[in-house]
Amino acid sequence: MNRVEQPFWVIVNKEIRDHVRSWRFIILLAIITLTCLGALYTSLTSMREAIKSGGVEDTFFFLKLFTVSDGTLPSFVLFINFLGPLLGIALGFDAMNSEQNKGTLCRILSQPIHRDCIINAKFVAALIVITIMLFVLGFLVMGAGLIAIGIPPTPEEFARIISFLVLSVFYVGLWLNMAILFSLCFRQTATSALAALAIWLFFSVFYTMIVNWIAKMLMPSDMMSPYYAIGYQKIVWGIMSLNPCELFNQATSVLLMPSLRSLGPLMMEQVQGAIPSPLPLGQSLLVIWPQLTGLIAVTILCFALSYIIFMRREIRSR
Amino acid sequence: MIMRTNYLLLLTILLGLIPMNYTHASDSVPSVFLYSPYTKISVSPGTSIDYKIDLINNSDAPVNADLSVTGLPASWKRELKSGGWNINKLAVLPNEKKDFNLKLEVPLKINKGSYNFIVSAGDCQLPLTVTVAQQGTYQTEFITDQPNMQGNSKSTFTFNAVLKNQTADQQLYALMSNAPRGWNVIFKPNYKQATSAQVEANASQNVSIDVTPPANVEAGNYKISVRAVAGNTSADLDLEVVVTGTYQMELTTPRGLLSTEITAGDVKRLELVVRNTGSSLLKDIQLSSGKPADWEVSFEPAKIEMLKAGETSTVTAVMKASKKALPGDYVATMEARTPEVNATAQFRIAVKTPMLWGWVGILVIVVAVGGVYYLFRKYGRR
Repeated sequence: MNRVEQPFWVIVNKEIRDHVRSWRFIILLAIITLTCLGALYTSLTSMREAIKSGGVEDTFFFLKLFTVSDGTLPSFVLFINFLGPLLGIALGFDAMNSEQNKGTLCRILSQPIHRDCIINAKFVAALIVITIMLFVLGFLVMGAGLIAIGIPPTPEEFARIISFLVLSVFYVGLWLNMAILFSLCFRQTATSALAALAIWLFFSVFYTMIVNWIAKMLMPSDMMSPYYAIGYQKIVWGIMSLNPCELFNQATSVLLMPSLRSLGPLMMEQVQGAIPSPLPLGQSLLVIWPQLTGLIAVTILCFALSYIIFMRREIRSR
Repeated sequence: MIMRTNYLLLLTILLGLIPMNYTHASDSVPSVFLYSPYTKISVSPGTSIDYKIDLINNSDAPVNADLSVTGLPASWKRELKSGGWNINKLAVLPNEKKDFNLKLEVPLKINKGSYNFIVSAGDCQLPLTVTVAQQGTYQTEFITDQPNMQGNSKSTFTFNAVLKNQTADQQLYALMSNAPRGWNVIFKPNYKQATSAQVEANASQNVSIDVTPPANVEAGNYKISVRAVAGNTSADLDLEVVVTGTYQMELTTPRGLLSTEITAGDVKRLELVVRNTGSSLLKDIQLSSGKPADWEVSFEPAKIEMLKAGETSTVTAVMKASKKALPGDYVATMEARTPEVNATAQFRIAVKTPMLWGWVGILVIVVAVGGVYYLFRKYGRR
């Protein structure tokens, strides 16, 4: 067992070293750190009004560090939603094809190691880097917020923030897997990078626009019965939710805003008699469970596809 | 001629009469005598009479007379006063008069009838009569002009009574009541709470009596007799309190906890307690609920036939949450209702999502991971 694992961790270590020392990673890290600090600054400046406004969420106002913004810069959550995929793509888009182009893949495979060690190690190494980076950023925001507002988070808030960070790791992991998949599909690193970026842009910018446009075209007349209206709204919402960005968005909103009780269209009967109150963490997790399942399942699916493609590929030296 | 003789005769008679009349007058009006205008008066027992008597001296010499009152029973208190002094003798200059006061106190314990007595100053006497118009008493009276009061079980009944001491002595009365258990009776002579009252002889004292019924008193008439007891005299006063029924009801749970948890789409049995906190019998208590839409609430039993004052009854509410209920808190109102009164209880119901879809999600992930494991096994180590 030891002999089997040993080369795997050797590759993981090597990969992490490569990632951390690469200019690409340092630039990305700088960008993301700067944007996160910017987001923290905006949330701190608008914290005063957020606390004043009152309401149920007041008890959870540490979470507002991550969600509140004054409008000039997006909040921390939105930055992760937007730049997280970029991080995943940057770490994964040349995972395989660059090795193949440089001819190093044959050399590695000539070593006495299992073939799947390479792809597993590449994935695990990138995921470890992402995890460390996201947690560092999250704790950076928490620590800076703690210094600035001076009120420690409650255990519930802390658990919610940790859940949010784990969710972010899965989300970035999804894009990492997609990038690794493209790096296997396309020989040229530039092509795979562009393909991944195209998908990212499509989902984060165009998908919502296109769905809205089609939904508007297909919208039944205003005189339709409420039953149809609800059905229509549900279908539109369901199509929207096929977007991983949207899934992540929904999941983080529920996690970081405990007063959110449901996602998607609501009927009046459900709201009647309900009183505004924060949900316990368990219930919040149950609300977003479909989103979580979807994200995790798609991540695993992408990895499985990459794995199959890599394992069945014929690798020759140039 | 005859007429002239007649005139002469009349003249002689008149001439003869005038000196005769004069001498008669000087005989019947003594030169020294006592005078009072009220020689016969009618009084009730316990009153005091103040006679003003003049001693008139028409003689040429000064008179110094001993004053005395005779013919009265010893229980009548008497006092002779003049010029601020108690006197036994009174002297009057010639052709002058001097007045003095006789103060008599009619005793309380006295029989009806006329009492004659004589005030004498030296030789002259003045007979006086006092008629006692009613039978005198020697006792205490405890009376009120409104011995009956009506109110509900929460009210305080305040009776204004008068305690009259019609004895000759000052009395210290112990005030007590024989109210039934649970009743609270407070005596307030002079508007201060006390257990005894001191009343001067032949004086009266206002005593207000606060009566508070027990908390769970039933409607009806209650007789409360109060007593004022001194050493040798006492008086009773019967008060009547009419308690009208109050209708009060409370709806709660056995532990008073008004929140519960329910899983969406599930049934929850909720134990409720209906308590009759009023003082009347409650009949036909209907139970109903104000609930969110698509929820079902039924009660077992749906109605309570009757509930006596102070008793409780247990009802089970069977609540079925809507399948579409959102996780989080809902408000449901339970209501117990009779024509007279109704009681409500608001419940905060925390809805939980059923775990079913959670397990389905976990299953999906397990299948995916299992698939990857299968791939590892299939391709991994060859």
